[in-house]
Amino acid sequence: MNENNQRKLFDYLLKSKFEGFVGVPDSTMKYFIDQGLKQKKILITTREDESIGIAVGMSLANSLSVVFMQNAGFANSISTITSLVQLYKIPLLFVIGWRGYLKNDAPEHTKIGEIQSKLLKIIDLQSKILTDRNWKECARWAISQLKQNISCVLICKKDFNE
Amino acid sequence: MNRKKAISIIAKQIRNNYLIAANGFISRDLFDVYDKPSNFYMIGSMGLASSIGLGIALKKPKKRIFIFDGDGNLLMNLGSLTTIGYLKPKNLVHVVFDNSSHESTGGQPTHTKKINIDKIAKASNYKVFKVFFPNDLSKILSQIKKIDGPILILVKIKNSSEISKRINLSALDIKHRFMKNLNS
Repeated sequence: MNENNQRKLFDYLLKSKFEGFVGVPDSTMKYFIDQGLKQKKILITTREDESIGIAVGMSLANSLSVVFMQNAGFANSISTITSLVQLYKIPLLFVIGWRGYLKNDAPEHTKIGEIQSKLLKIIDLQSKILTDRNWKECARWAISQLKQNISCVLICKKDFNE
Repeated sequence: MNRKKAISIIAKQIRNNYLIAANGFISRDLFDVYDKPSNFYMIGSMGLASSIGLGIALKKPKKRIFIFDGDGNLLMNLGSLTTIGYLKPKNLVHVVFDNSSHESTGGQPTHTKKINIDKIAKASNYKVFKVFFPNDLSKILSQIKKIDGPILILVKIKNSSEISKRINLSALDIKHRFMKNLNS
């Protein structure tokens, strides 16, 4: 997604009553995060599972939260997702970067980039891939999932090289 | 003092305050000695009690949130101390029961035999209290009522052979009654 739409997505989620934006930064969504930092709405944590724990706490206090992370962090978080988020049925919106989407991305992203979609399916997390055209539709879908108490994922591809 | 004794003293003294209890024997002991709707028992996700407690503390600044943690749990999410210390929630009290071992899994050693958690917490902006005896624990609990957090109470405990019953509530029951109590 381009810079403009990343910023718009952040503002759209903020207007849609998401109060907590907690996570570990990823370059695929740096403008999304920057938009939140400018408005002092972002909490950066030390690890992705820590972010999820904080967001779960916020959710227990009836506050909707977004957890953002790179796909490497998603891999780090699988046990937390299955034994906390899913076991207690806590509705969270994950925004997960997709490094390794491009064939020539850095080598550490190749394997996880390859298996990311399968991993999401295996752990029963519904997801949609964000594009410049469909981001608003995706956001609306995610909000409707959360209203039904179901956690879901929006994926932010790395479709450019710097 | 063993963990169950320490947990009993604190739970009975803080009564209806909100409490996030780490997984394993800590949750089981609390459930056994002082079950109430404002207790959130963690079943899995070791290490995250402090993070869940932080999330609640940030959204409910007028309510005091207690976290019951263990040394093994704390070491697994040590970064959480820096996040809490960075944000300085006034209403957060982090109690760590330290027996320098993973008692729930058979008593294997942790690093707190040689590493001082209290020093790490102090460096992370916590106000720190270290306790060895039951009487001191009660005194400190009265004392902290007038002190702003984040507060860490490090309770040095001995291992014990007494094992509390399992929690017979489902994860969803734990969540629903906790949320109802917290948000009403």
